[in-house]
Parts: sequence; C-alpha cells; structure tokens
Amino acid sequence: MSLMLDTGALFRRYFTKLVRNPTLLVTNLVTPVAFLALFSQMLGKLSVFPGVGGSFLAYLTPGIVVMCSVMFSAQAGMSIVNDLNSGFLQKMLVTQVNRGAILLGRLCTDVFMVVIASILVVLAAIAMGVSFVTGVPGILLLLATSAFFGLTWAAIFLAIGLKTRSAETLSAFGSGVAFILLFLSSGMFPKSIMPGWAQTFSAWNPVSYVSNAMRSTVLGGYDWGAFASAYAVTGALAVVAFAAALYQFRKTVH
Amino acid sequence: MTAYHTDDIIAVDDLVVVYPDGTRAVDGISFRVRAGEFFGFLGPNGAGKSTTIKTLTTLLRMTSGYASVAGAMVDRDPDEVRRSIGVVSQDTVVDVDLTGRENLLLFGRLQHVSSEVLEERVDQLLRVVELEDVAGKPAGRYSGGMRKRLDLASALVHEPSLLFLDEPTTGLDPQSRAALWEYLETINREKGVTIFLTTQYMEEADRLCKRIAIIDHGRLIGEGTPGELKSALGGETIELSFESSGNPELVARAAKVLGTIAGLSQLSTATSSLSASAANAERLLPSVITTLAKEDIHPSALSVSTPTLDDVFLRLTGRRIRSDELDRRTTEPFLQ
Ligand SMILES: Nc1ncnc2c1ncn2[C@@H]1O[C@H](COP(=O)(O)OP(=O)(O)O)[C@@H](O)[C@H]1O
Ligand SMILES: [Mg+2]
Repeated sequence: MSLMLDTGALFRRYFTKLVRNPTLLVTNLVTPVAFLALFSQMLGKLSVFPGVGGSFLAYLTPGIVVMCSVMFSAQAGMSIVNDLNSGFLQKMLVTQVNRGAILLGRLCTDVFMVVIASILVVLAAIAMGVSFVTGVPGILLLLATSAFFGLTWAAIFLAIGLKTRSAETLSAFGSGVAFILLFLSSGMFPKSIMPGWAQTFSAWNPVSYVSNAMRSTVLGGYDWGAFASAYAVTGALAVVAFAAALYQFRKTVH
Repeated sequence: MTAYHTDDIIAVDDLVVVYPDGTRAVDGISFRVRAGEFFGFLGPNGAGKSTTIKTLTTLLRMTSGYASVAGAMVDRDPDEVRRSIGVVSQDTVVDVDLTGRENLLLFGRLQHVSSEVLEERVDQLLRVVELEDVAGKPAGRYSGGMRKRLDLASALVHEPSLLFLDEPTTGLDPQSRAALWEYLETINREKGVTIFLTTQYMEEADRLCKRIAIIDHGRLIGEGTPGELKSALGGETIELSFESSGNPELVARAAKVLGTIAGLSQLSTATSSLSASAANAERLLPSVITTLAKEDIHPSALSVSTPTLDDVFLRLTGRRIRSDELDRRTTEPFLQ
C-alpha cells in the first residue's frame, strides 16, 4: 500500500519538475520528431535499398521510437544524481517513505515520458504518410515494446548515476554511447548500406533487435520471431540492469 | 552501560563511527537527552557533529556502540526511529522546482500523513514559518533564510516528537537567525518537541539550549547546562584598571591586598590592570572596594564579566573557535 502511494507522490513530484522545465521537455519531445522528418527527407533515396521496404520514412519510424526510449531514460540517472548531490535523496531517506518507491516513482515517470514521446513520433509518422500495416493493435504493441526498452535503459542510467554520482559522466554516456548504439543499428540504417564492421556491431546491438521487431508493425506485418528475440534480449538486459541498479541503490541507502 | 531512564528520548553509549577511509569521526561518545529537552551539540568544524546526527537519523551505520532514539535501536529498527524524528540537515534541502506548499505536501505524503489533515497542517506550518505569502512561488525563488524555514517546516509535517537540526543557522543573516531561534523555542516550549541541535556558535548554544555537550575530535569533552559549564571555570571575572598607565608597583600592591579576601582566586596582573575569578563576584565587590580603600588604593574602573562558552571551549581544548572557520562550509560527502 505505502509502495503504491509513495510511488504516486514521487511520480507527481518528478512529473511536476519536468513540466516546470519546459525547455528540456520540449527539446526532448521535439528532437525525435525533427530527426524523423530530417532523416527521412535527406536520406529518402535509401527507400530503394534492399530491406527498406520501399519507404525509408516507414523504415526509420521504429528506430526513432527507440531513440525516445533512450533519451528520456537518461533523465532517470540525471535526476537521481541531482537528488544525491543536493541532499534531497538523504532528506527522503530519513522519512518513512517506502524505499522501493524512490526507484519506482522515477522509473514510472520515465516510462510515462517514453510512451508520450513515442506516441508523438507515431503521430508525426502517420501525418507524413506512414501507414501501420498492423493498425492500432500493432501501434499499441510498438508502444509497449518501447516502454519496456525504456524501462531497461532507465535502470541502466540509474545504476550508472548511483555509481558515479556525476552528471557529466551521465550526459557523456547518455549522448555518446546511446548515439553510437542508435546509429550502428538496423533501426537507423538498413544493413545493406553498412560497412562490414558496422554490420557485425549491428547484429549484436540490442537496438537492432528491438527496432526490427517494432518495424514489423509498420512494414510487412507481425514478425513474432523478431518480437521473441527482441523481448529475450531486452529481458536479459533488464535483469542485469535492474540487478545493478538495485545493488547500487542498496549500497547508497544501506 | 550507564543508567537508562524511560524518558531518555536519545540514549547513546560508546558510539563509534569510522568512515571507510579510516577516519574515526566519532570516537566513543556517550550521552542522554531527556524528552522535551532543548539539547545542544557544540563543536568546531570537523568535530563529528554531522556524523553523529547522520548516525542517529539512520543515514549512516555505526561502527560500534549503542544508540536508541525514541525507544528504538537505531541499528536494529531504523523504520521505527524514522517514525518519530524530523531532520533538518546542514545543507538546506528544498525542491527548487516545486512551490513552498508543494514541498510540504510532498513530504506530508512521504511521511504518510493522512490526506484529511494534510492540507490544514501544511497551511498551519506555512503560517508558523511565515511563508504563507510566498507559498505559491517556486522555492527556487526563495532567499536562503526562507529556504531554511521551508526545510524546517517540511521536517515537522508529520509532527515528530524529536527534531534534529544540523547547524541550522550557519550561513544565515542575523535577522533570519533570530527568527529561526524563535520558531525553535516555540516548537520546543509549546509543542513539547525535543530538540537536538548542533552549532559552532557559542552564543547560540548559550541562548537556546538547556543542556550542552561539547564535542571535539569525535569525543565529548564537556557536558552540562550553560551555567554549569561556565561556573566550572571559577565563575565570573573581576577586573580592576588603574589610571596611571603602567604602575606595576601599585598593581602588585593591590594584588597583595586582594589576596587576603576569601573567595577570590586566579589573580593575575598586567602593567595597569588586575583580574581575579570569583564564584559570586557581585557579592564580593563591596569588600574588594573597601579593602582597597583602606590601603589607599583607588582603581579607576572596575568590571565584572561572565565567562562565555567561548571561554569554556578555550579552557577545555586550549583553542578558540575562530570565527573565520565558521563560513568555510564543508561539503558533506554522502555515506560510505
Ligand atoms: N564521508 C566521509 N568520509 C570520510 N571522512 C569523513 C566523511 N564525512 C566526514 N568525514 C570526516 O569526519 C570528521 C567529522 O566530520 P563531521 O561529522 O562532518 O564534522 P562536523 O559536522 O562537526 O563539522 C571530519 O574529520 C571529516 O573530515
Ligand atoms: Mg557538519
């Protein structure tokens, strides 16, 4: 009971903070949509490449959704680092708050924002002419997958934030590693245009698994095999990420 | 273990806290705080005040010893301890994006205050710390003093029976400090909240606290009421000055005469002045004057001064708490 109520109270806090910093919020919401519009326009010629399915815009849409998962999850780490360094975490820890709610409230906020940003991307794609072959159920599955991937990333960023306690490290990791993972995946570019080493990297990259599965809701229809792999890979990553985040959290709050 | 009273709201025995890097920040302290007391923990920078508070408020694990707070063992039952305590940490902590009211509502919810009474209690607290007019503004726009008041209010939202404050007035302007003193006295007197306060300011401990423990290098070096600690120094100081600048002969003669008066001690002389200690200096003054007059010695000025806690500290440690140390705020590394 206290877990749910405390999670709710903290969700409210984090959400209010997001809304009170509109620059950050708008940047985070607009950037993926802008990426979708820019890349699909500039690289429209990629539409004819094998594996793209005739529309680079449609091909790119799930990749950009995955981008939302990573971008908003970085907030989780940032927020815990700020709370640690300002003493706000300590102030919460001397209250009767359910300890788990501190993590859960944060994760709920991030997943909520990932879903909102993903919806915006889907709507923008539809406005630009993409049609989802699997319709609304497919879109819901895509959003759920994005939420799960976002949750996993939020746990990764939380663990790193708790470990390093440094906003600089986090933003460097957030933009650097996340960017590399996104661009060296089949979510951004078809395998057929990548050099060999990038193909190898992409084949191991979790972002590729997740975007391939998501893409089947836009182009070609449900590929359950791809979804099985995507959930297996994300699930494994999630187990490691949550174990690391919990371990670091326990160490911090003893 | 020394005697344990049921109305000891804090009982600490041989508490030791060693940081992972080997720093022995608290080195075997023992003390008691009675319910309803206004208790002061006085010591210079780095003495171990914050470490003690963090340990008693469940943020840090003790290395060894025994500590019970509000009837619960700190290391065994931290949840029970947290139920009864409010904590105002050394660094002022408020959420700058939330308004004053939202800050209090958040902590009310985190402290599981029922929603029926929360709104009213928040309004009442805002009134007590005089933030009603700015309650709807983001705390980021508050001054340092206002933030401290908000921080204090958020530590009171669940009506704790025991309030910990770690150097609450460090960095505040004199006006804010005076206001904070008043709130604390009110909370202690009218609500019966026990207060455990740390400070580097002698006059603050003297003014607020009924009982004081002095900590230095992780050890307690003195304990008692401000009055007891002062009288341990031998009471007040009588000082006599002589007009003629530098008349050691006269001063020496005066010292010899005063030496015959029972109750005066620690006579010390300078070229044109002389001082002595007495447990009740005022009552000795007439005989001092008449005895000197008989010998035709007429001091040009005569003063009686009460020792401050500064003198107590000097006496106990051989050091004065330098005021330039006060504003050099230490960053507080968190845990481990
Ligand atoms: N996290 C920490 N790790 C190692 N040493 C620490 C830590 N925090 C404080 N100390 C040291 O412990 C001693 C007591 O510090 P503290 O309790 O903060 O003193 P005070 O609050 O009285 O100024 C100091 O020598 C300080 O440098
Ligand atoms: Mg301190």
